[in-house]
Amino acid sequence: MQVFQVSHLSKSFKEHQVLCDISMSVNEGEVVAIIGPSGSGKTTLLRCATLLERADGGEICFGDLCVAGVDKNGSFAYADKETLKKAHQRCGLVFQNFNLFPHMSVLDNIIDAPVHVQHIPRAEAYAEAMQLLMKMGLLDHAQAYPCELSGGQQQRIAIARALALHPDILFFDEPTSALDPELTQEILNVIRGLAEEHMTMVIVTHEMDFAAQVADRIVFMADGVIVEEGEAKSLIISPRHARTKAFLAGLNR
Amino acid sequence: MDILTIGLEKTAQLLPLTLELLKGLVVSAEIFFLTLIFALPLGLLVALGRMSGSVILRNIFRAYISIMRGTPLMLQLFVWFFGPYYLFNIKLNELSFCGIEYRFSAVIIGFSLNYAAYFAEIYRGGIESIAKGQYEAAYVLGYTRWQTFIRIILPQVIKRIIPPVTNEVITLVKDTSLAFSLSVLEMFTVAKEISSASSSMLPFVIAGIFYYIFNILVAGGMAVIEKKLNYYR
Repeated sequence: MQVFQVSHLSKSFKEHQVLCDISMSVNEGEVVAIIGPSGSGKTTLLRCATLLERADGGEICFGDLCVAGVDKNGSFAYADKETLKKAHQRCGLVFQNFNLFPHMSVLDNIIDAPVHVQHIPRAEAYAEAMQLLMKMGLLDHAQAYPCELSGGQQQRIAIARALALHPDILFFDEPTSALDPELTQEILNVIRGLAEEHMTMVIVTHEMDFAAQVADRIVFMADGVIVEEGEAKSLIISPRHARTKAFLAGLNR
Repeated sequence: MDILTIGLEKTAQLLPLTLELLKGLVVSAEIFFLTLIFALPLGLLVALGRMSGSVILRNIFRAYISIMRGTPLMLQLFVWFFGPYYLFNIKLNELSFCGIEYRFSAVIIGFSLNYAAYFAEIYRGGIESIAKGQYEAAYVLGYTRWQTFIRIILPQVIKRIIPPVTNEVITLVKDTSLAFSLSVLEMFTVAKEISSASSSMLPFVIAGIFYYIFNILVAGGMAVIEKKLNYYR
């Protein structure tokens, strides 16, 4: 079953076309890694998917819920506020620089949205948050504030915060780019754990080895288009397209 | 008369003088607290208007702030006090209600509207200093715009604006003496009257000490709040 789908998506910033006729879909339980040189449009694609950025044309759907597409009059439009809100219940986003709420404790960061957005009883949200914290190995830090934690710990809280809302699909925007190399592994391990639980995920990353290991499928983007996509290991080991070969060769040097 | 009796006489004068000034200080404190009660929330509304998406609304509030900051507070007090009579021929005693003289109400109106403009700019600076990522995180988590402002943005803004607000509040303590211009019997007016009647500097010295102590307490109180909010970076 398809959890997420974009077709013929396009997006420009002024004159500059950032996304050009992008089509991709993600099945339930699938892990897709998006790789490519900086400026290739990976992050913009993720921001369009999570509705942080408005696309100029195409279609965006979460399962049976379409948030953008061609309306009755034949012009491109976004759905009404209610539909967008429903879409937000279906997807989560983990940012490059965490974006935790600094004035809230770790626990409040995780339970605030379930309690105030989804109106889940506090006790229930609390119990769930504690489980998530245990899973992240941060149970001792429930009452701490984000500023007291390392980058890796903060990112794990951000992942827990996103998971607490039970998204159908979780997007990661370069989740380890703001971290020291030694902290990168702890985040990659968390994501690996989620993949083993068959969490549906789309991960923009520069960690090629990780992408090859964890992702089912890799999408290679350059200059706003999807150049090549395919089964993860084979794309890394034997890319077909010249652009992909050049990119991967450049990384290994 | 020996030196001792003169000393006693002086001390005996000091007590009623201090009591009179303290009565004035109560009025000064009333102006101070009422202004804060009205101007702090009003300033937030002005700040939101100033940052509104509507160009018309934005420019109205921009003009409001510009006028409030660009003209003397004393002049504004006169406008609020005499305006109703000169412009609309309303008798000033008709404007008093619940036993509150209009000259006092005019001071509160003038101070609140003036300080709201200053507070608005402080709020705006604070709101604009919050990183875009905070809004984005809240949006992706499904918060409404109002929830985002109340739960995520405002608490962080309050922490950041404590130092500039402290500045304004300390200025307000001293500015209450401008109510002198409308003959409201606050501490400075009282000090001026007693000083003229007794040809003495002493009332001003004591009033000065009281203003200073008032501000020490205000600064101390704000420092406590600042420290309380220091639990996060």
